[in-house]
Amino acid sequence: MGKMNWKVGASSALLAGVLLLVACQKEGVKSVAGSTPLAEENANGIFPYRRLSTYGFFQGELRLLNPSDRILPYEPASSLFTDYALKSRFVLIPEGQKAQISASNMEFPVGSMLIKNFYYPVDFRQPEGNRRIIETRLLIREQSGWQAYPYLWNEAQTEAVLKVVGADIEVNFINDSGTDQVINYIVPNKNQCKSCHNQSEVLMPIGVKIQHLNNELDYGDTKENQLTHWTSLGFLEGFKGAEFYPSVVNYEDETQALRDRAMAYLDVNCAHCHSADGPASTSGLFLNFDESDPLKIGINKTPVAAGKGAGSFIFDIVPGKPDESILTHRMKSTEVGVAMPELGRTTVHEEGVELIRKWILSLK
Amino acid sequence: MRRLFLGLLIFVSGITFFSCGNSSTEQTVDSSQLTRKGQDEVEQVVEAFILAEDSSTIEIPEGFFELNTQLILDNKKSVRIKGAGMDKTVLSFRNLKSGGEGVKLVGNNITVEDLTIEDAPGDGIKAQHTDGITFRRINVTWTHGDKSKNGTYAIYPVQCKNVLIDECIASHSKDAGIYVGQSENIVVKNSLAFGNVAGIEIENSDNAEVFGNTARDNSGGILVFNLPGLPKSDGKGTKIYDNDIINNNHENFATPVGEGPNGNTVTMIPPGSGVVLLAAKEVEIFNNRIHNNKTTGVAIASYQITGFPTDAPNWSPYTTKVFVHGNSYQRKSLSMPDLTRELGQLVSIHNAHGPGKTQDIIYDGIWDKALSETIDSNPMQICIQEKGIEELHFTRFYLMEGADHIDSFKDYELFQNCTVDVRTDISGIASR
Repeated sequence: MGKMNWKVGASSALLAGVLLLVACQKEGVKSVAGSTPLAEENANGIFPYRRLSTYGFFQGELRLLNPSDRILPYEPASSLFTDYALKSRFVLIPEGQKAQISASNMEFPVGSMLIKNFYYPVDFRQPEGNRRIIETRLLIREQSGWQAYPYLWNEAQTEAVLKVVGADIEVNFINDSGTDQVINYIVPNKNQCKSCHNQSEVLMPIGVKIQHLNNELDYGDTKENQLTHWTSLGFLEGFKGAEFYPSVVNYEDETQALRDRAMAYLDVNCAHCHSADGPASTSGLFLNFDESDPLKIGINKTPVAAGKGAGSFIFDIVPGKPDESILTHRMKSTEVGVAMPELGRTTVHEEGVELIRKWILSLK
Repeated sequence: MRRLFLGLLIFVSGITFFSCGNSSTEQTVDSSQLTRKGQDEVEQVVEAFILAEDSSTIEIPEGFFELNTQLILDNKKSVRIKGAGMDKTVLSFRNLKSGGEGVKLVGNNITVEDLTIEDAPGDGIKAQHTDGITFRRINVTWTHGDKSKNGTYAIYPVQCKNVLIDECIASHSKDAGIYVGQSENIVVKNSLAFGNVAGIEIENSDNAEVFGNTARDNSGGILVFNLPGLPKSDGKGTKIYDNDIINNNHENFATPVGEGPNGNTVTMIPPGSGVVLLAAKEVEIFNNRIHNNKTTGVAIASYQITGFPTDAPNWSPYTTKVFVHGNSYQRKSLSMPDLTRELGQLVSIHNAHGPGKTQDIIYDGIWDKALSETIDSNPMQICIQEKGIEELHFTRFYLMEGADHIDSFKDYELFQNCTVDVRTDISGIASR
């Protein structure tokens, strides 16, 4: 706010007029969440609700995101990079029902919901302090399958409203080195959700998978394997125990093997598209954590439809040469048409690039 | 020695006189005259795609729409997307900040017609996993003067079945204007591709007919390729007929001009290529006008020529079963083959008719030694029956022993005594 006042104060009438036009664009984004009075809404069971508060996920002030008894926090082993936004995630299983685990799948009963809140602390050096919640994405398991609904929070942080066309938001924060940052954060439109949440053209969750939940989470009052915890609460059946299922590491955990960390990073940031069932199967580049064929992982593999994304390089991964590899080239770019992933980030994930570089350097 | 001297002379004069190359920013539609639509109206179009129902029509009115987000049709049946005409409805993705393509379609029985798509950062309009996709009277292009900013494919059906591209225009893409990949049952007809690196490309696809089109002023006019390592591992059965494949002498801007090729095979196309086959199987090329392509009218090549790894499952690097007949060829008297690409240099320096001579048909002469010790039995079944072939510039290269043992021959007789029966069946599509 301080910056805006400074600008308006310092500019001429003409410049103020131009700024008003620009600000009006942003007003267009905010008006749905802010100035147009919102109708009262009943939780009538017909989804999606217009307002996030109608779902009753949280108790007390909405912005505190205090879970009610109906929802349970969860965390995937490795997190998707979204322009350094922090996330809080919850799952809702309908009363009296259970999710099912089979050998490789989790099936959720109709009425299940996955809730993912994206927020930026005002100062990353105090992550528990003041924060701005940007959006909440819901995946609701309806009769016909999963549906995705994006909710945009107002600046006052009192409500989030369904916004199917998505939005562009300027976000300001201080990073953990104390530097001011500005990010032009993009909230996806409803159909862009399926650009990533897509297995053979069926909308599917990405983080809520066995290999990402088969690990210990600190719930505050207890520390337990997440799938075990869900079972003990009556939310899940069929889980035989941690040792019977795959488990992905947290790529940020430096005690883990480099290869495991790199494959975990690629799995959660890329494999939703770059897999046999994903929208980028066309490329033949498959980055699942358990992919073992070096050609499919991209080693000495020429690109197919990368276009300018290939830069001046020949192979997706050149062993030992990260800076001649198309993979790192695209991770380091912010140019639309070159940058990978295509959706979900507008900045470079420096730490992620560094991890993948280290891993490619170690390859023979 | 003389050959080497001549080669050097050609090389030096080539660099001097021809390094500037040919480039086009010709535009079909002048979108600057159209009314700019406001943000509400643009959002309406985005919402129309999101909320579309099966068996419905999305009508986009006349005007210039500046999109900030992608238009995505998600898994719908029988949807028609219709503008007011390619000169009246323009969707501009110049401001798109995320996503690969401007428009993405998934479903069954989808038709897009009568509109223009401009300046997508990646691909213009992409259809994937769709059975029954028709693009009719759409114009997809880039308007940047600096073509290094342009996107990848203009019209891009991939992993689709029953694809029809009819009366469309694709221009200025950095890869292929009309690109059909990993699909089956394809018709590309009555369309125009110009100013692209590749005009029309059929890749890893089965049962395609490409006819009645004009491919002009591209670096390569019409391509049939099969690349290794893809989910649809190979492709066969393409007929290319009754096309005008003219003046495809555009500089190859798939990489910055002056830089060499990268890992994308399209970056290797020498400007001046009419029809290029790479690892293609069962292709018939007939009744086309193949005029004024300065390097070669037709190039029949196997994948080994790229120098990339050839080890991949369920795919063959060899081009086999090709039938070229009944085409009309013309060469401009002062034209010289390209020197900016290795294949261009090969043609320029080593062709069988004299350095610097444009060719009508070249065959890289790469054959599968497991089938035959020599090429004399035509083991790859390359069949060329052109009237007056004695007057044409035909060259078969010998590349089997590497760059130090390159040779070239005029021996079209080896390839005249056969025909190939290429089977295609487009009855299901042509009537859409």
